[in-house]
Amino acid sequence: MAQSVSYAKWDELTEGAEREITMGPLTRTDFVRFAGANGDFNPNHHDDTYAVSSGFPTSFAQGMLQGGYVGKILSEWVGPGALRTFRIRFSTQAWPGDMVICKAMVVRRYEEDGERRVEIEAEAVNQDGASLIKAHATAAPRG
Amino acid sequence: MPLDPTVLEREFPEFEFNVERGKIREFAMALGLKDPVHFDVEAARAAGYDDLLAPPTFTRQFWHENDENDPMPHLGYDPKRRLHGEQEFEYHKPLVAGMSLRGRNVIVSNREKEGRRGGKMIFVVIETRFVDEGGELVQVARRTLIETAAPPKESE
Repeated sequence: MAQSVSYAKWDELTEGAEREITMGPLTRTDFVRFAGANGDFNPNHHDDTYAVSSGFPTSFAQGMLQGGYVGKILSEWVGPGALRTFRIRFSTQAWPGDMVICKAMVVRRYEEDGERRVEIEAEAVNQDGASLIKAHATAAPRG
Repeated sequence: MPLDPTVLEREFPEFEFNVERGKIREFAMALGLKDPVHFDVEAARAAGYDDLLAPPTFTRQFWHENDENDPMPHLGYDPKRRLHGEQEFEYHKPLVAGMSLRGRNVIVSNREKEGRRGGKMIFVVIETRFVDEGGELVQVARRTLIETAAPPKESE
C-alpha cells in the first residue's frame, strides 16, 4: 500500500538542491509489468529470441520505464501536480540486472505565468555511471 | 528511405483516451511510485484533485504496434532501425481518473541528419494535443523517433 510522501517546500528548492533515488536491479518482470501498464509490447522488451534476432544481446528496458522512474523522482520531490514541462532524452539501453540511479538538481528559480517555478536537470545512470537518459523539467512547487 | 515531404500535411484519425483508476494504479505500481494520490481516492481528494492523479508520463500517443493512430507504419520506416530518441510533455491541467481525452497525432517535423558514424539518420517528431470533453487543452506530448543508418546494435 502507498505510504505518504512529503514534498519539498519552495524554500528547500534552492539552486543546487538535489535528490537521488536508485531503482533496480531491473528484471524482465519489470519490463513485462510496464508493458502491460503502458502498452509498449515491442518484443525487444520481453522476448529474448526476438531481441537477439534484432541484433541485441538480450531484451532490454523500454526507454519510458527509465523515463517514468525520473518522473517518479520529480513528482515525489516537487509534488505530483507541480510539473509544467518534462523532456526526456534517451542515451543508452538498460539491461536486465542494471541499476537505474536517478539524480535531479534545481538549476534555476524564476517566475512565470504568476507562479514561482524551478527548472530542474535530471539524469539516470547505470551502475557503471553510463548515462541512460537525460531529462529537463520545469515545475511550480505548491509549498 | 527517402524523406517524404507530404507527411507533414497528413491527418491521422482522432482517438479517445479514457483515464481509468485501475490503469493509473497499475501504471504507478509499474514505476514504483509511492504517492497515495495515484492509489487512494480519498488521498487524491485531500490533495485537491477530483480523483486519482495520473503519473507524469501516463499519456500514450498511440497504441503499439500498427495501430491506425500510429503514423509510423504508414511512413515506411524500418521498425528494426527505429529508436525512441526523445519524449516531451507539456502539462496544462491535472490529468485525473474519469477524464476522457481526445488526441490527434500530427507530424511536426521530419528531417535528415548525417550520423556521427556515417550514413543518414532520420528524425521524425510526432505531436499529440490532448483535450478534455470541454475542448480544453490538458497535455501536449511530443515523441521523437530516430531511424538509424544501420540497425541500432551496429551503431552502438
